[in-house]
Amino acid sequence: MLKLGPIAIYLLRRSLFILSTFISFLLIIFALPRAIPGNPVATLLAQIFQQAQANPDTVKAVYKKFMEEFGLNKPLHEQLYDFLSRLMVGDLGTSIAFYPRKVVDLVASYLPWTLGLLIPATLAAWVLGNLLGAWAAYRRKTAVDNALLPTFLVLSQIPYYWLAMILLYVFAVYAKLFPVAGAYPPTMQPSLSSQFILGVLHHYTLPFLSILIVAIGGWAIGMRVLVIYELRSDYVEYSELLGLDDKKILGYVFKNSVLPQITGLALSFGTIMGGALITELVFSYPGTGYLLFRALSTLDYPLIQGTFIILVSTLLLANFIVDLLYAWIDPRIRVSYVGE
Amino acid sequence: MLRGLYKVISPELFTIKKLDASVAVLFAIILMGFVGPTLYPVDPRAVVGPLESPPSDLYPLGTDAYGKDILAQLMSGIRGSLQIGVTAAAIALLIGVMVGLVAGYKGRLTESLLMMATDIVLLLPSILLMILIAAYFKWRDPLLVSIIIGVTSWPWVARAVRSQTLSLKNREFVYLSKMAGYGDLQIVVRDILPNIASYVFMAYVLLMSGAMIAETGLSMIGLGVTQGVTLGSILFWAQVLEAVRRGLWWWFIPPGAVLVALASSLLMLATALDEYFNPRLRGG
Repeated sequence: MLKLGPIAIYLLRRSLFILSTFISFLLIIFALPRAIPGNPVATLLAQIFQQAQANPDTVKAVYKKFMEEFGLNKPLHEQLYDFLSRLMVGDLGTSIAFYPRKVVDLVASYLPWTLGLLIPATLAAWVLGNLLGAWAAYRRKTAVDNALLPTFLVLSQIPYYWLAMILLYVFAVYAKLFPVAGAYPPTMQPSLSSQFILGVLHHYTLPFLSILIVAIGGWAIGMRVLVIYELRSDYVEYSELLGLDDKKILGYVFKNSVLPQITGLALSFGTIMGGALITELVFSYPGTGYLLFRALSTLDYPLIQGTFIILVSTLLLANFIVDLLYAWIDPRIRVSYVGE
Repeated sequence: MLRGLYKVISPELFTIKKLDASVAVLFAIILMGFVGPTLYPVDPRAVVGPLESPPSDLYPLGTDAYGKDILAQLMSGIRGSLQIGVTAAAIALLIGVMVGLVAGYKGRLTESLLMMATDIVLLLPSILLMILIAAYFKWRDPLLVSIIIGVTSWPWVARAVRSQTLSLKNREFVYLSKMAGYGDLQIVVRDILPNIASYVFMAYVLLMSGAMIAETGLSMIGLGVTQGVTLGSILFWAQVLEAVRRGLWWWFIPPGAVLVALASSLLMLATALDEYFNPRLRGG
């Protein structure tokens, strides 16, 4: 019998779970339009077909292409087979609004802006939120905590995009310190020159801050409760009786409390992604949120589906990375998943 | 000095203060949504004044790009958002509590399958699922939007209810009921539900605040209600018609501020309830 180490078992289980989540998601994507009465995709194709009746060959070619991609006249199991086998080779279909561009290429050109905004903002908020939350817990029942906790509570309830609107209004429209739209100066060609990079950072500041400030609140609330619980554990009391330095004890407490926050990091990535997509709209930031909005307003179903598939894949990948990190950090995994 | 002061004000009292403040804010907003329109009877859909007028005596919160009154829209929007919040939270609560109770009480394969489904929905961000579902509906009334929000927001409730059920089902009083020959349904309804009622109420409050924020998010991306006014729909039109870049602050600040006040007071209410029911958080 092959004997697997505890970490290998843990990672195997997690990968199987993430894989089944991905498959379930694909099934949802496939089933949704087909389950809704009057199949919206079929309605859309019928509209294109009507145009094809009146218009020359180009529209007919478009119609034929989409009939092929969706295959709505075939039996359901064949549709599913086609859908999955095209996915396997990375084919997410053709966009309707940006015809004849491929969905994969479109999303690939917008995705870097979203990730460039999302990942640094999420990580920075995680670090700052945990530190502030631990501080509030440590200063529990003092003016510090009584001022910080309500601030965190309110911050965590602000939608990113509303804060984005306010920041944009105050710092860009009113004070004219930052640009009002876009991700880089419209007069410049994207390049690696220092001038262009400065321009990008100038455009980056407000969207980044609007995500950072709100996300800090949620992390801080969570961390505060975790640290409060941890501060009451036996080892803290024991260390205090031993006369250990407060800072040293706090270091242990922080390390133990931050572990659940790492798991939270994976889950929050998705929530923050949802908010960040809408924040992009406020700043006209050329990320996937902007692309998705275009796709939604033109009912470009292939593009909508493709954007979601790529976003969710990214998310699941992030989850897997967090799992790896967790396996590496948390010694308990080595104990609890003993191979058989 | 300050420390002494905080010792005098007992933690319990502070909790109640937090409760008071959140209930007061909630009540004020609800009043504004339901009683406001009788005191300020302006049709939120009617063009009543000049375009983009800033707040003035005549138009307390100004007008939008079509000359519609923003205060009237705000009152109507509060009602619309609350309606969606109440309905969506009820749907999510129903699913979450049912899944959690059944999984926790039944155990075995039922539990594994239900929890697997819960974890899958939990891992997929609810806002993305909502957008995906809403995209396929051309007309969206408040009920449909509530359903879309409700069916995607329940997983964390299911997880929490399951773990509480697990710890309750091995208590003596449950064994006694079993020995007395009560059926599963009776035990769940009579023994387990009353014991998690406080938690379920707290979950409802949190779900409601989450649902109202979700509604705004859906609206912002263009998938909110297609008829009626909500806080989200006001923000959506402000965004689409470039209110921010054109400096029309009175258009986008009030709906967001009311939403944040609503959501924070609900969250604070839930936190206060949690501290009240959960002595571990309250004590020194």
